[in-house]
Amino acid sequence: MPPRTSSRCLALIAAAFLRPYPCVARVCAGVLLACSLMLAGCSNNPHPEPLQKTGEDGTPWKVRYGALPEDPRSLDPQVSYDAISRRILEPVQECLLEYQPFKTDPYELTPCLLLKLPERVVKPSGGVSYRCELKAGILFHDDPCFPEGRGREVVATDVQYAFQRITDPKVECPALSNLQDYVEGMAEAFEAARKTESFDYSKPFSGLEVTGRYTFEIHLKAAYPQLLYWLAMHFTSPVAREAVEFYDGKVHEGTTRDLFRFHPVGTGPFQIADWKRNTRIRLKRNPVYRTTTFPQDGWGAEQEALLRPLAGKALPLVDEVNMTVFRETIPVFLLFRQGYLDGMGVGKDAFSSLVTPSRDLSGKYKERGVTLHRDTEPSTFFMSVNMEDPVLGPNQKLRQALSAAFNAQANLDIFFNSVPIVAEQLLPPGIAGYQKEFKNPYGYNLEKAKALLAEAGYPNGRDATGKVLEISLDTTGGSANERMMAEFNQQQFEQLGIKVKVVENPFARLLEKLDNGGYQLATGSGWGADYPDPENFYFLYYSKNFPPAGKNHSRYKNPEFDRLFEKMATMENCAERDAIGLKMNAILAEDVPNILNMHRSTFGLTQPWAPRIQSNPMLEGGLKYAVLDHALRENLRAQWNKKPVWPIGVVLCGLVAVGLFTFNLRRKH
Amino acid sequence: MLAYLIRRLFFFVPIVFGVMLLTFVLFFVVQSPEATARRVLGQKATPKSVENWLHNRGYDKPLLINTTPGQPWHDSLFVTQLGRLVTFDLGTSDVSGRPLREIFAQGALPSLLLTVPAFLVSLAVSVALALYLVFIRNAAVDFMATFLCVALMSVPVMVYVIFGQFVVAQVLNYFPAFGFEASGWSAPKFLLLPVALMVVSGLGADVRLFRALFLEEMGQDYIRTARAKGVSKARVLLSHVFKNGLINLITLVVASLPFLIMGSLLLENFFGIPGLGNVLVTAIQAPDFAVVQASVFLGSLMYLGGLLLTDLCYAWADPRIRLG
Repeated sequence: MPPRTSSRCLALIAAAFLRPYPCVARVCAGVLLACSLMLAGCSNNPHPEPLQKTGEDGTPWKVRYGALPEDPRSLDPQVSYDAISRRILEPVQECLLEYQPFKTDPYELTPCLLLKLPERVVKPSGGVSYRCELKAGILFHDDPCFPEGRGREVVATDVQYAFQRITDPKVECPALSNLQDYVEGMAEAFEAARKTESFDYSKPFSGLEVTGRYTFEIHLKAAYPQLLYWLAMHFTSPVAREAVEFYDGKVHEGTTRDLFRFHPVGTGPFQIADWKRNTRIRLKRNPVYRTTTFPQDGWGAEQEALLRPLAGKALPLVDEVNMTVFRETIPVFLLFRQGYLDGMGVGKDAFSSLVTPSRDLSGKYKERGVTLHRDTEPSTFFMSVNMEDPVLGPNQKLRQALSAAFNAQANLDIFFNSVPIVAEQLLPPGIAGYQKEFKNPYGYNLEKAKALLAEAGYPNGRDATGKVLEISLDTTGGSANERMMAEFNQQQFEQLGIKVKVVENPFARLLEKLDNGGYQLATGSGWGADYPDPENFYFLYYSKNFPPAGKNHSRYKNPEFDRLFEKMATMENCAERDAIGLKMNAILAEDVPNILNMHRSTFGLTQPWAPRIQSNPMLEGGLKYAVLDHALRENLRAQWNKKPVWPIGVVLCGLVAVGLFTFNLRRKH
Repeated sequence: MLAYLIRRLFFFVPIVFGVMLLTFVLFFVVQSPEATARRVLGQKATPKSVENWLHNRGYDKPLLINTTPGQPWHDSLFVTQLGRLVTFDLGTSDVSGRPLREIFAQGALPSLLLTVPAFLVSLAVSVALALYLVFIRNAAVDFMATFLCVALMSVPVMVYVIFGQFVVAQVLNYFPAFGFEASGWSAPKFLLLPVALMVVSGLGADVRLFRALFLEEMGQDYIRTARAKGVSKARVLLSHVFKNGLINLITLVVASLPFLIMGSLLLENFFGIPGLGNVLVTAIQAPDFAVVQASVFLGSLMYLGGLLLTDLCYAWADPRIRLG
């Protein structure tokens, strides 16, 4: 029955029923009117009013609405390392270099705050320097920490200050341990500060030499081409010393100032307008932003119609960004359906209602104009094999057999809705050196696995004495899903006739075991690219990176692999480097220090009014390229959020019925 | 009375100490400070950054007692943190570095905005419904209501939340499915649905309890006397049963007060209300020991205070009870 007809029927029934009780009827009518007015005035829009109604040119103020799974932990550029914080920091605090948003195979660095890519100079001592020049006229955001609240120009000493902050032990910069091995004077300055419990910012810092107002040189102890990737991270972003000193978290003239980690003062296309902790962050456009414009090229032919009109345009393309913190996934889905979120990731909860078995978007969402995207992250997940274990370490055939027994595709089908892709090699797609055609020689093949096991000295899973081979598998435990995954892995290996003992660990305990080598096989290992360079993956198996110094949890040691790694690590990308990568990949595939599982992929949805512009996983959202069709959103939201009146009538009828029952009962008494 | 009060306050000390020790042991003996640092800093953290993190927060000290020769025994993590807490120096969050005083002050208002109206409405509705059921007892509606109460009690809170968010907020579009705004006139639109769900989810148990309390009063001799004198049933209910039943209600109400400020873990999470329940859940997930420890300390003090207040109120309301 249509809502209007049902409401009319209810009204007629109520009128007939209440005719003998005019007083009750009047009260009911009043309550119904009050409820209707209250609900009509009560919008279901969870977002606050935009910061402005219109822009300076009179056009509607464009707001993008997004979701965060938790509040950012820190927006200090030298500290922030988690993906959530970086998502907010990226549009606020720009880096010296940035990733071209449309080039992902391979990735490409372009200047951002720098005028051009740094110039590499090899010194006679064997060290390397990078000469850098900042763009002139770039301003920090307007902020009370500057005289008269006007942002000042970014100069080379701001970059030097950033490098000093990386070194300061109190700042706790996660990049320190990587950079101090290469940047001159960094390790010494850190140790001195640890001893005296304070970092002397007045001392000259030999690793970064300021050579002019906008020019500086970074001095390295040895060749380290990956430094350029570090310049595309926030750790090396210039920081205004005034801002750090101003936002000290103390009371000044009766007002408590924020800590710098919650009040970044950057140069980016957006600045923080409002941050309600654990609730939402609102960013508004930086009116004086001139650093970068929309790229002129780089996108595929399928995006030409959408992106060509934007080429060369001033950034950002929207006026405000509203990021709401959602700890649960159900409300995200509900608000997306109502049109109050412009995009969302497709999690397990809503997967079956959004995505068809053929991995397409379900019909009702297609009708709404929603678009489904699939992205593969530059990451690889695998099981670590302890190469120092007396059973697994010396027996290459046994490791190969275990690898061939593991059905990675079935694992992804059962536990990940077939969204990620099976890893055939350590390097994920997009990283220089990734071989598209390469197939893991010890990928899933049960017959081959059994044959390899026999060659390993365990025919049908038994050794020469007839004893069943027993292997322990360390996993993270606790949730039902983790337990099921552990059981699945156990079954995979037990198809060979061996016995697998699952050891459940809390996450931190598993990390401890990986560090101290107290395991045979361990799940949950993986690596996401800090930067898109093969060195950032192959270093996981370099023998000088045994824990605690590094992350070689498999304790893999192969002199040939080490030699090749040392050679390729200091090389620029070229054909020779790719050839070395091929050899390293082949060595790892044959030696099996890990059992490869997957490259993580995700599904995401976008509303028809907010088409996705770029999908570069090295960017944390790329908010400065985001677009919005304001009028379309307003229209669709109005259509999707109509309020029916009939349920109020039903509830009221119920209340009236109870009231009349009591009234009659009392009259009887 | 004063001696009783002092004695009870004196008992607070070992109880709070025991609670703090238990929290500390559960947190750090089950999971070492290094493991906590690793979880906070992530899988990619280097040993140096872990060491630096521990040093900056004082977690590199011995856990319970310092047995290092030449160093005072009390220079340990537990004693140092307990010493700080008893002077109400709550310190800062391990994860964000924000002062805990600020975190708790900001979280208290949203929690109270959710729990106080829900508590008051729930109390009023439960008492009214219980009196109504006593009034019509043994009627068909009474049996139906009793059945409904048991049904309401049997439904998990999560089901109410999903029903509220999906049907009321998503299908009917009456209220926002998520969000919170404490300022201005927008607060009620965010609070109406979670408050209603909180009331409904607790209604079954409360009505059953209050109905039982009032029925017990109905069986008393003085009620029979009043009815024999010709006092109407409604008047007996409101003037005698309700007033005497209040004594039992006081104990329930006062004991519930400390929980109001701690908020609702589930509703705050699902509706995005940045209250203390939300703070605690986030701290446990992070893990942020400083927040957990301070929450437990303040929570135990409030709970003990609530229990003491309950006893005092009971003595005040019922002249037969003497404290001493």
